[in-house]
Amino acid sequence: MVRSGSFSVDSSATHQRTPSRTVTLGHIQPQAPTYRTVYCNDRESNQPVRFKGNSISTTKYNVFTFLPKGLFEQFRRIANIYFLGISCLSMTPISPVSPITNVAPLSMVLLVSLIKEAFEDWKRFQNDMSINNSTVEILQDQQWVSIPWRKLQVGDIVKIKKDGFFPADILFMSSTNSDGICYVETANLDGETNLKIRKALERTWDYLVPEKAYEFKGEIQCEQPNNSLYTFTGNLVVQKQTLPLSPDQLLLRGCSLRNTEYIVGAVVFTGHETKVMMNAMNAPSKRSTLEKKLDKLIITIFCVLVTMCLIGAIGCSIVTDREDKYLGLHNSDWEYRNGLMIGFFTFFTLVTLFSSIIPISLYVSIEMIKFIQSTQFINRDLNMYHAETNTPASARTSNLNEELGQVEYIFSDKTGTLTRNLMEFFKCSIGGVSYGCGVTEIEKGIAQRHGLKVQEEQRSTGAIREKGFNFDDPRLMRGAWRNEPNPDLCKELFRCLAICHTVLPEGDESPEKIVYQAASPDEAALVTAAKNFGFFFYRRTPTMVYVRESHVEKMGKIQDVAYEILNVLEFNSTRKRQSVVCRFPDGRLVLYCKGADNVIFERLANGMDDVRKVTREHLEHFGSSGLRTLCLAYKDLNPETYDSWNEKFIQAKSALRDREKKLDEVAELIEKDLILIGSTAIEDKLQEGVPTCIETLSRAGIKIWVLTGDKMETAINIAYACNLINNEMKQFVISSETDAIREAEERGDQVEIARVIKEEVKRELKKSLEEAQHSLHTVAGPKLSLVIDGKCLMYALDPSLRVMLLSLSLNCTSVVCCRVSPLQKAQVTSLVRKGAQKITLSIGDGANDVSMIQAAHVGIGISGMEGMQAVMASDFAIAQFRFLTDLLLVHGRWSYLRICKVVMYFFYKNLTFTLTQFWFTFRTGFSGQRFYDDWFQSLFNVVFTALPVIVLGLFEKDVSASLSKRYPELYREGIRNSFFKWRVVAVWATSAVYQSLVCYLFVTTSSFGAVNSSGKVFGLWDVSTMVFTCLVIAVNVRILLMSNSITRWHYITVGGSILAWLVFAFVYCGIMTPHDRNENVYFVIYVLMSTFYFYFTLLLVPIVSLLGDFIFQGVERWFFPYDYQIVQEIHRHESDASKADQLEVENELTPQEARSYAISQLPRELSKHTGFAFDSPGYESFFASQLGIYAPQKAWDVARRASMRSRPKVPKK
Amino acid sequence: SSNTASSSAGAAGSGDSSAARKNSKRPKYSKFTQQELPACKPILTPGWVISTFLIVSVIFIPLGVISLFASQDVVEIVDRYDTECIPAPARTNKVAYIQGDGDKVCNRDLKVTKRMKQPIYVYYQLENFYQNHRRYVKSRSDSQLRSTKYENQISACKPEDDVGGQPIVPCGLIAWSLFNDTYALSRNNVSLAVNKKGIAWKSDKEHKFGNKVFPKNFQKGNITGGATLDPRIPLSEQEDLIVWMRTAALPTFRKLYGKIESDLEMGDTIHVKLNNNYNTYSFNGKKKLVLSTTSWLGGKNDFLGIAYLTVGGICFILALAFTIMYLVKPRRLGDPSYLSWNRNPGGR
Repeated sequence: MVRSGSFSVDSSATHQRTPSRTVTLGHIQPQAPTYRTVYCNDRESNQPVRFKGNSISTTKYNVFTFLPKGLFEQFRRIANIYFLGISCLSMTPISPVSPITNVAPLSMVLLVSLIKEAFEDWKRFQNDMSINNSTVEILQDQQWVSIPWRKLQVGDIVKIKKDGFFPADILFMSSTNSDGICYVETANLDGETNLKIRKALERTWDYLVPEKAYEFKGEIQCEQPNNSLYTFTGNLVVQKQTLPLSPDQLLLRGCSLRNTEYIVGAVVFTGHETKVMMNAMNAPSKRSTLEKKLDKLIITIFCVLVTMCLIGAIGCSIVTDREDKYLGLHNSDWEYRNGLMIGFFTFFTLVTLFSSIIPISLYVSIEMIKFIQSTQFINRDLNMYHAETNTPASARTSNLNEELGQVEYIFSDKTGTLTRNLMEFFKCSIGGVSYGCGVTEIEKGIAQRHGLKVQEEQRSTGAIREKGFNFDDPRLMRGAWRNEPNPDLCKELFRCLAICHTVLPEGDESPEKIVYQAASPDEAALVTAAKNFGFFFYRRTPTMVYVRESHVEKMGKIQDVAYEILNVLEFNSTRKRQSVVCRFPDGRLVLYCKGADNVIFERLANGMDDVRKVTREHLEHFGSSGLRTLCLAYKDLNPETYDSWNEKFIQAKSALRDREKKLDEVAELIEKDLILIGSTAIEDKLQEGVPTCIETLSRAGIKIWVLTGDKMETAINIAYACNLINNEMKQFVISSETDAIREAEERGDQVEIARVIKEEVKRELKKSLEEAQHSLHTVAGPKLSLVIDGKCLMYALDPSLRVMLLSLSLNCTSVVCCRVSPLQKAQVTSLVRKGAQKITLSIGDGANDVSMIQAAHVGIGISGMEGMQAVMASDFAIAQFRFLTDLLLVHGRWSYLRICKVVMYFFYKNLTFTLTQFWFTFRTGFSGQRFYDDWFQSLFNVVFTALPVIVLGLFEKDVSASLSKRYPELYREGIRNSFFKWRVVAVWATSAVYQSLVCYLFVTTSSFGAVNSSGKVFGLWDVSTMVFTCLVIAVNVRILLMSNSITRWHYITVGGSILAWLVFAFVYCGIMTPHDRNENVYFVIYVLMSTFYFYFTLLLVPIVSLLGDFIFQGVERWFFPYDYQIVQEIHRHESDASKADQLEVENELTPQEARSYAISQLPRELSKHTGFAFDSPGYESFFASQLGIYAPQKAWDVARRASMRSRPKVPKK
Repeated sequence: SSNTASSSAGAAGSGDSSAARKNSKRPKYSKFTQQELPACKPILTPGWVISTFLIVSVIFIPLGVISLFASQDVVEIVDRYDTECIPAPARTNKVAYIQGDGDKVCNRDLKVTKRMKQPIYVYYQLENFYQNHRRYVKSRSDSQLRSTKYENQISACKPEDDVGGQPIVPCGLIAWSLFNDTYALSRNNVSLAVNKKGIAWKSDKEHKFGNKVFPKNFQKGNITGGATLDPRIPLSEQEDLIVWMRTAALPTFRKLYGKIESDLEMGDTIHVKLNNNYNTYSFNGKKKLVLSTTSWLGGKNDFLGIAYLTVGGICFILALAFTIMYLVKPRRLGDPSYLSWNRNPGGR
């Protein structure tokens, strides 16, 4: 269990590693060959080594590096480089525009980006500071002194109090607990909430009080800092005595102390050298698919730009005539030597002129929109705030908002994500009678699907509800079972629950205060149930189980009974059952057995067919309600039979070879002719609203895969409970638990095993695929689901089988992968991501989900409940699985819609603007004369049309949030990418061409000749300002035309932008500067406004240019409506406020009716699923072997340890 | 023993978690963050579409009629003279003729077809003259035009910037190529006065051209581009130059030459004695003389009126078409059967 002593790099940790870029969990960095020596409690001796301090910094910049580094970051963006180039070009004489045209927007964009960077870094800095300045007590001059964390040094002796966080990696020396033990919560590291035990070396137990600790002069020799959380090797040299150190003595930064008054330790690693900081991974920066597509669009635009410039260049070299004497070309101008040169230079002239076709402010606008979306909308959505854990949703990156609107595959972890990892005794069946009145989530879900409203069920008075027990039926409670038809069987059931387990009681021996330490929460739930039925298991010794029984002899009577445990036949995955042989105080010998229905039914005594049949029906009911079932049976033994069997058992137990196998065989001998008691049904408590959420998401066209480390039965059970699988589906099960494989495994030849499994997997895959394709061709074939376990998956992911696996799984509506390692989770995710080119989302809560979270397009961490590892690696963190509905269907869909509109609008706007220039170029002899004044052109993007589009990106809503959730099908438009297709781009491009032509042609044509009653004519700048005014109005009003929801901010910004243009024009045209500036536009706007012509044109041109879009939209809605448009129409008379109420379904039923209805709606054809699932210890080690991770201690370790304690001289492992 | 108190998100390794636990992280409600801002949700229903078209047509058609009437009121006489004013024998080499030294007087008779009320504006119209050429447009110095102080700001004026080191005022290609055809009009041998004052925009005259700036070294270079300027008259009074320097937007443009302040009757013949000096022949430019009255809207230009009428008409037709469509084959608003997942179950 504990590797200790040597300095070698953990080899088992490295050789299993598959080189994979995305998976960083458990990655071992190469270590320096040396080790570090730390002198405890001796700052002078540590001085020469110069260990790093304990202050941490996660900022990207400091005051000096900010500008160079920040600018460098900005210029890594290709668009910015482009504009830098254009700006440089515009400083040369070939440019028709002054540098300001391009420099102004670029610097504006850079400024905004840099401010954002600085702001984010400042927040990081403040966060660092608050951590660095939290205080810790260290030993100085025989007393504890508080110092800030950042001043902590390697070798210091520190004292950590209860619930405090460890400020660094600390060598655990002593604790207030008598046996040198302390409890640690590692939730921040691995997401496990159960407490871990750390144990100090006995040699250091005494150094607890300052006076004593002051005397401690130890020398720690240990490995160099590394990022492996579960390994630590080193020696402690105290008074020439060398003691080996193990991870048991290391308290990691990020963990916190629990249930221990305080501990004392020596600092080993500090600051960035602590294991948790070494582990801090920079989550790979993800870009959204839409953004990648945007790049393609930009490249297309660039191609358009090049084409436009080429046309101009060719045109110029053809028409330029040296005889145009008024152009002054008669002078020997090097620029105009020959046509080719002319074309060449004109090309670059035009590039600078048309540079505005590439929307420079697009990226910064999108960034701003996304930033506000994530910080203001997602992070502050009250619908995604979880009050119980006080956790709001948190967008950890703002890059992926719109990706949330296009997710097609969700990969979900089970424990902690779908389920609460909370088992509750929910129902039972005793002797053919079913007990328990609860309604499970899945039943509620079914009822809701049929339009019934399920009220919170009323619990009978006096019903007991505690952790692990959610059973309500007055027929059994408070001794009422004695009046049931089968009281004896009830008694046996309760005894079986109270005796047949491996649970350890801890704490006070009273029903209220006792805490059960169990290998699995199932077991704890069963024992808790027994307690509530009046069979209170309160003490265990290695040989005895003590049960306080009430109401047994007669009502109200309580007696303590001690059962002698003679044999324990342990649970394992092949046996699927667990038995205990016990002797009652009166000498009665009984074997209690609990296990899977099929193994128990096989071993029943003859003549129990009736009970068996009824129980089976109950089991099927339980199973399809999503409950985990166990069958219970017992058997009275007679002493002789038992004795002879026991001899064989002892023999098997002491066998040196194949002990497990022999034990199994011996167990078979006695586990037969059992008498069926009944069954229990435990609810693996789902997270709130999970089935509804899954139902909603699947209606939205999202496919959900469950990837879990659990056993197959558990996984299938949860899949049933979540309604991912039901009995109407066709299931393909690819399991490694087949006879052929097991046989091969018993033979033990590794190569052979691999070959057999691969063959088996290939055969199964092929068969399933054929069937799947067959059923796809039939019209109403059943939906398909695939269940595969980790071992088979390992082979199915082999390149030769991968394609088959992919096509099979893409045909299935739901896929369950069980017993998969973290690495496999990531592999499956990338299989779909890369192989099927679909947008994937991974959601998980623990450290084992990190790789999958990073591998998917969007990673979501469950926050609030457990650790930080998954959250730290994720892109979004939510507190509950059900918040996915809001995150995807509301925020994701809206973000997608908004970003699409914003991008399209930018594209349209800049194209329109640039095209007017382009048309003008045709009438200037392709000389590249600019149409607009420099400042007009540079401010067009960043001022006159900047804000409305941001408002659009923030407030655009096609349908309200509640309708988004009510019509999840609307989400499919995102999956299909309906709003960012080339078709949509073409529509916008057409609109841009049309509008630019209208604006350009109408104004130039109508402005020919006299424009007022005094016969004056317009010059170039008058006309261009007129066109510009029309453009600003048309382009801004276009925003209103494309908005589905117009807030006052729309009006303000649209009006404001137009007004800003006018105000700017008034001011700019009204001033003269002393500088050498061509005052082309001096007074132009006043001249314009003095004519009637101005107002006539201003009314005509914008309306005509918008009319085209208006007609298009009208026709589109009339003949080819989008789904959201229909939904808008259906609910057009509703205001937002009333929608919440309308969602309530009128149909109300009493809980009783609802339940019976729900049950009647359960699939009739109850095939094979009976819901057996039982978590056994041991599956966790599966991960350990896969990734070289030292398996963290689990509750059963605690149990085992506790049971060992009572025995003297137990050799430690 | 079992302590499930969650260490709140973000408190990784922070020592002050107890303080953080007390603070609720519940986001504050605001309509903005909950995205519930009151909004108008326009739906483009058939009713809206049809009424929008109707409104547009109702507004546009009268406006079109008004502006068309205004344009129709204007009487315009256009006479192209660039070819006619070259004697027939010289037409084979027009450039040589125009660059030659001879007398280039040309006589034209214009017929007044409709009564023209004063003021009658005299324009010259050039075609294929790229006053908007990049090199041409930038070849000027506005500061020099404004004030003697900036006389030497001639960097933009190349190649017409200086003569032997002395700055040209006004410098640059635009001024250099000043139009220099002259027209002398007479009716029945009585000369018609052409008023050349007040032909430039007031703002140009008052602000862009200084009243203390006098022409200097103008047209003293190797090649004469066009008209010369009287060096005794300040630029602000040289209205021909001011008009010329407000460069035109398109290669076909009119510029105001002067105005006649007497009415012309129908049937009058206007005799124009024309000095054909300006060389448009080297680039095949056309020259036209235009006499025109104005309406309140400006000169003769039917475009606005036609555009208004056409758009108004189209809107009216569209309104009709949509109405008929609505009556013949109505689309029920918000019919769930239009939803894609209802049209083809199972989704695409």
